[in-house]
Amino acid sequence: MAIVRDIMPAFELFQPANIPDALSLLDRYGSEAWVLAGGLDSFDWLKDRIKRPKVVVDLSQVSELRGIRDWNGGLEIGSMTTLTEVVRDPRVQAKFSILSTGAEAAASPQIRNQGTIGGNVSQDTRCWYYRGGWKCYRAGGNICFADTPTAINREHAIMGADRCVAVNPSDTAPALIVLDAQMVIRNSHGERTVNAEDYFIGPDIDITHMNVLKPGDLLTAIRIPATWAGAQFYFEKVRDRQVWDFPLLNVASAKFVSGGNVDRIRIAVNAASARPLRLTEVEDFMRGKQPTPQMGDTAGKIAVGPADPLRFNGYKIPMMRNLVKRAISGVEEAKWA
Amino acid sequence: MPEANTGDTPKGLSRRNVIKGVIAAGAVSGAAYLFRGSMVRAGGAAAGSVERLVTLNVNGRERRVDVMKQETLATTLRYKLGLTGTKLGCDRSECGACTVLIDDVPHYSCSILTHTARGKNIVTIEGLAAADGTLHPVQQGVIDEQGFQCAFCMPGFIMATVGFLKVNPNPTREELAHGISGNLCRCQDYDKILTAMMRGAQLSRT
Amino acid sequence: MPDTPKHPPFKLIGKNYTTPDLVAKVTGKAKYAEDYRADGMLFAKLLLSPIPHARVRKIDASAALAMPGVKAILTADDMPKPADALTDLGARIPANPLGERGLTNEPVYQGEPILAVCAVDELTCAEAIEKIRIDFERLPHAIDPLETLRPGTPNARVEGNVWIRPPVPKGQQAPPPQVKELKWAEADFAEIEHGRLPMGKLHPDGVDVAPQSDEWSFGDVDEGLKKADLVLDETFTTPNTSHQTLETRTAMAYWQNGKVYVHCSTQSTQPTAPAIARWLGLVDDKGQPDVSRVVIISEYTGGGFGSKITSAISAIIPAILSKKTGAPVMMRVSREEEHFIGRARPSIQGRLKVGFTKEGKITAVDMFVILDNGPYDPQGDANNSGRMLSLMYQPPAMRWRGVTVLTNTPPRLSQSQPGGFQGIALMEPVMSKASRKLGIDQVALHRMNAPEGKAPIGAAPPGGKRAYVTSAYIKEALDRGSEMFEWERRKAMPKRSGTKARGIGVATSCFVGGSVGFDGLFIIKPDGRITVQSGIGNLGTESVTDSHRVVAEVLDIPWEKVEVVWGNTSKNLPNSAPSGGSQTTHAMTRAAWATAHDAKKKLQEIAAKDFGGNPEDYEVARERVFRKGGGSGMTLAQAAKRAIELGGVYDGHEVPAGISPYTKASVQALAGQGLLAVAKDTMPRDGVTHSYVAGFAEVEVDLETGKYRIVDYMAVADVGTIIHPRSLGGQILGRSTLGIGHAIGQKWVYDSHYGIALAKRFHYNKPPTILDVPAKMTWDALDIPDPETPVGARGIGEPPVGAGCCAILNALSDALGDDIFRRAPVNPDTILASLEAGRPMQEQFTAHI
Repeated sequence: MAIVRDIMPAFELFQPANIPDALSLLDRYGSEAWVLAGGLDSFDWLKDRIKRPKVVVDLSQVSELRGIRDWNGGLEIGSMTTLTEVVRDPRVQAKFSILSTGAEAAASPQIRNQGTIGGNVSQDTRCWYYRGGWKCYRAGGNICFADTPTAINREHAIMGADRCVAVNPSDTAPALIVLDAQMVIRNSHGERTVNAEDYFIGPDIDITHMNVLKPGDLLTAIRIPATWAGAQFYFEKVRDRQVWDFPLLNVASAKFVSGGNVDRIRIAVNAASARPLRLTEVEDFMRGKQPTPQMGDTAGKIAVGPADPLRFNGYKIPMMRNLVKRAISGVEEAKWA
Repeated sequence: MPEANTGDTPKGLSRRNVIKGVIAAGAVSGAAYLFRGSMVRAGGAAAGSVERLVTLNVNGRERRVDVMKQETLATTLRYKLGLTGTKLGCDRSECGACTVLIDDVPHYSCSILTHTARGKNIVTIEGLAAADGTLHPVQQGVIDEQGFQCAFCMPGFIMATVGFLKVNPNPTREELAHGISGNLCRCQDYDKILTAMMRGAQLSRT
Repeated sequence: MPDTPKHPPFKLIGKNYTTPDLVAKVTGKAKYAEDYRADGMLFAKLLLSPIPHARVRKIDASAALAMPGVKAILTADDMPKPADALTDLGARIPANPLGERGLTNEPVYQGEPILAVCAVDELTCAEAIEKIRIDFERLPHAIDPLETLRPGTPNARVEGNVWIRPPVPKGQQAPPPQVKELKWAEADFAEIEHGRLPMGKLHPDGVDVAPQSDEWSFGDVDEGLKKADLVLDETFTTPNTSHQTLETRTAMAYWQNGKVYVHCSTQSTQPTAPAIARWLGLVDDKGQPDVSRVVIISEYTGGGFGSKITSAISAIIPAILSKKTGAPVMMRVSREEEHFIGRARPSIQGRLKVGFTKEGKITAVDMFVILDNGPYDPQGDANNSGRMLSLMYQPPAMRWRGVTVLTNTPPRLSQSQPGGFQGIALMEPVMSKASRKLGIDQVALHRMNAPEGKAPIGAAPPGGKRAYVTSAYIKEALDRGSEMFEWERRKAMPKRSGTKARGIGVATSCFVGGSVGFDGLFIIKPDGRITVQSGIGNLGTESVTDSHRVVAEVLDIPWEKVEVVWGNTSKNLPNSAPSGGSQTTHAMTRAAWATAHDAKKKLQEIAAKDFGGNPEDYEVARERVFRKGGGSGMTLAQAAKRAIELGGVYDGHEVPAGISPYTKASVQALAGQGLLAVAKDTMPRDGVTHSYVAGFAEVEVDLETGKYRIVDYMAVADVGTIIHPRSLGGQILGRSTLGIGHAIGQKWVYDSHYGIALAKRFHYNKPPTILDVPAKMTWDALDIPDPETPVGARGIGEPPVGAGCCAILNALSDALGDDIFRRAPVNPDTILASLEAGRPMQEQFTAHI
């Protein structure tokens, strides 16, 4: 069969108006159904004719999935809330500015106007072999093309790889992990919540999926507890181009400092591994210590301890080390005359 | 395999008809496009099933149009409604040439299903100028500054700017650059584009 | 500094105006190829080769053809024989038997079109393509140019892996180039371990090549290097970069009364007709392209940058399908398809040995380049890289050697400053390093080695003398630039603070800036208005109308009374310069000048006939022709009516000798409508026309992430008289930014084992966004007229590219020191890894990483 790209195949389209209808459609069509949120990740797969769902369930008409609400002193963000809405929301800015910063670092204005927070955290990896339709582990095959002697893998994983070396590309994911967010998942049997940290899975757990969603599941909301409201936040993303590009690496941290010492801290990085990584060892190390550049440096070294680079991504080790340092002690900005 | 060539003049195609057809953009493309059947035989109408014949509000007019389930808004605008000012540069959310306003918000029309835009107000480059031909201030800014070169990116840039100015009517040059950063210009005329769009912003305020 | 020439005061030239195409552009009414519709229009889509090199054994399209809605399938067997090509400068190259035909049975790169399916819509096309089965015989492939020169490695084509140009038999046309196998000795590759490019033999033993085709020199290079105080031996690699015009090479075509109408995307309007005719095999009995059977419609083109000089061979696919199906056919080229068939600049791996005196003067250059040519026609970039280097840095002695290697990667074609860019990009890192080693300011080092006046270029042809340029004022551009950029102030600033390093860079760049010998054609109508027939393409540079401002200037008529007809070859256009190689502004302002003077002469003659005396007694001004010093005269409107009454040469019923047959046919069609002015540019020119740009940049590097930011960029151009400031400024900064893209991110990525492209489309090829350059950049132009052309204007499209790229690279080196990078683009990964290791960590010799 010859390959052709750039033409979306025909599918049956459903636009349910509420969550129960959406869930019933997902139940009815099972693995033949594709959930469409903002569509920015989906349309790539569909236009490339690599993923061929028979049924697309478009969530755009489910108004209850959209919006930001107060919740237990924190916030509940509907999964279909756009990244732009997250960026501009005054409550997010006031309490959890790290999430606005992370969301604003994603993609481009038009993508943020349509792309959703649920889609951003649930999107698939951008490994160019996998996205190019190569039959790799993640696509159900038995090889990782990005980890061969001729593979070009500058954007791939430096840690946590297990056969597959793809990375998670989300810019909001590490911010949500730092904020200890809870992912609200519904299916026709009920609702469950999963910690953001546990929402993402690596190839060791499931090599064909990047999160815990199963057919029939819908991510309906993300709840952010008050726990980290008002903390000192740090977010930084390094990318090649300042628009569109996914992170080479990003880092997010939240900390409370009392008496000059770190009281509580959470820190996470993404694009280093198939799942956004919470750096608990670094958190443990920093607790009770001063967030100085020296401590940050040591923490950075701890963070990259497990790194095992590929041929072209060794640079991610100093980059991650330095980003972790900055997430702890900030950036020493230039003072030009 | 290939049939033999049968001469220069295609059957049933008079010069007059061809010329008429070429001038009239907006002819609906092939019939198979319209009558392809459903992919799934659903047992009775499920909640959320979608009708193919839809009403779209484009540039202030209601337009009835037959839309395939997988059709993107850019395709509908360009091939069903004859609004070819909206350009397809990449069809992948990577260039911005297809940017239109949906309820005043800039979207890549290549990457939204037409069915998703039902019931919303869609504005394309053709809908900006007043009925008497007076240009929108952002269009006028381009005229004043000779912004853009090949201009294939121009409709997208203008729509992105118009959308951004609704949120931030008085931007700095840097803010405007951020606001319209989802648009790519391959003549790379960014400096002159920004100057033209800043002029447009200024004209919009007066 | 010697006095520089000045142009006379102009009324229109050098002034901003609103181009007549702009309102259509801002309202969305401007029609590009994909915006045309025709009744019963069918669609076509390409089936691309999934493998880099193969032979098609069998195509089974039966299931596809049986589908409702599928109308036809076109394969390589349906395509006309390989056709002659036109170069950048309009010269004809005889058909290359190994050239492209649009579709193929022996794909030589992944993504090469094998067949096209025509159906009622694109979805049907796609579904039909998926039903086609092709039996391929896989052939070995070569992706890396250096690798294929190693002994025992595969060749990109069955015939071999390098292009050679055979000697030209006396008194005959140059034969087509040939593909031969060239393998170097394993020992040659030992240089790689030292970070230096291997330099093996230039062509296989026992193969005769045309003189200077792979080696040329002037001066005594060995002596020059020997007497140098500093010799640098540097290897650098430039990237392969897709043109990535925002509009793909879409085309729609239909046949009427034996003529094919092609709505296509092209840089040039009139010159595209012969190209399409030749590709379609429409030739007359003399073997010349039969342009009477081709109509090109292209009012607007969404960018070309050298990739669509005369449209593209893919445009004939809908034309042939239209003939086959009897219906108009639209072939919308998708971005994916454009990646493969849309052309790209070839990478050059180059090694330069450059000698400097301790004062900074270059004593000699020894240059060796390997061009990654792709699988098809040999590109001129390798030779041009040496030629432009010889002009820009004026070495008294230079040797150039080059190998043009075939690879199974998409076809290359001229891209803004073809070859010139690579030459500059190879040399500028050497200049930058020399500046640090010698302790000489970057600007001073460039200035003392810059060309001046009628500076020599290239090697002398066998038995001849070295050519020279018409003029060069790049030293003035460096002076003005340093002042505007406040070079000295910036130089005095600290280089390090906190986690940031800062650096400034300057680069100079040059390229061909114009050709000669084309025709102009316009009519003064009986209503006193002028209709200019423009065969120039409308690709966004605005030369399609800018050039004709000269007509109004010379005749002293308000621009509002001039209408320009463009974009359709059935509208009787003159023989015009192809819009490639920045020829147009120079060539067509000359043609406009010559034609305006033809009109002036005719007006004076008509006046003399009616009012007596000699034609020279009359002058043309203020829309009138009248006796000098006042007295009898008539309006241009009256003169136009008299021209019709007089007939003959005055209204075009008599065609002057010397103009091209194409123009002649247009004159005959337009005869009798008014005073018809037509002329060929036969004006003298002493030297070859080149333009120059000096680029200045400041960067700030984040030492902890490797990410850098361009703080400022400024360019000063030496392009002769300014015709239209705003379009000139757009070109200077626009093409600079194209160059900046080569410094900061654009590239190809291949997995060489599979021969498959990993980076496709904008996302992975990374053309610069609006946030990757400063929100405000500045430009200036000297406005010194070139002395060898009447208006004084030269082309601008090319030299900013090298200036933009290399100003950034040199600023990075200024910030970070030597040997952080040895290829472009330079990204955070390279900077950070090299800083971390304290030595260059970029893989230097692997292609497409």
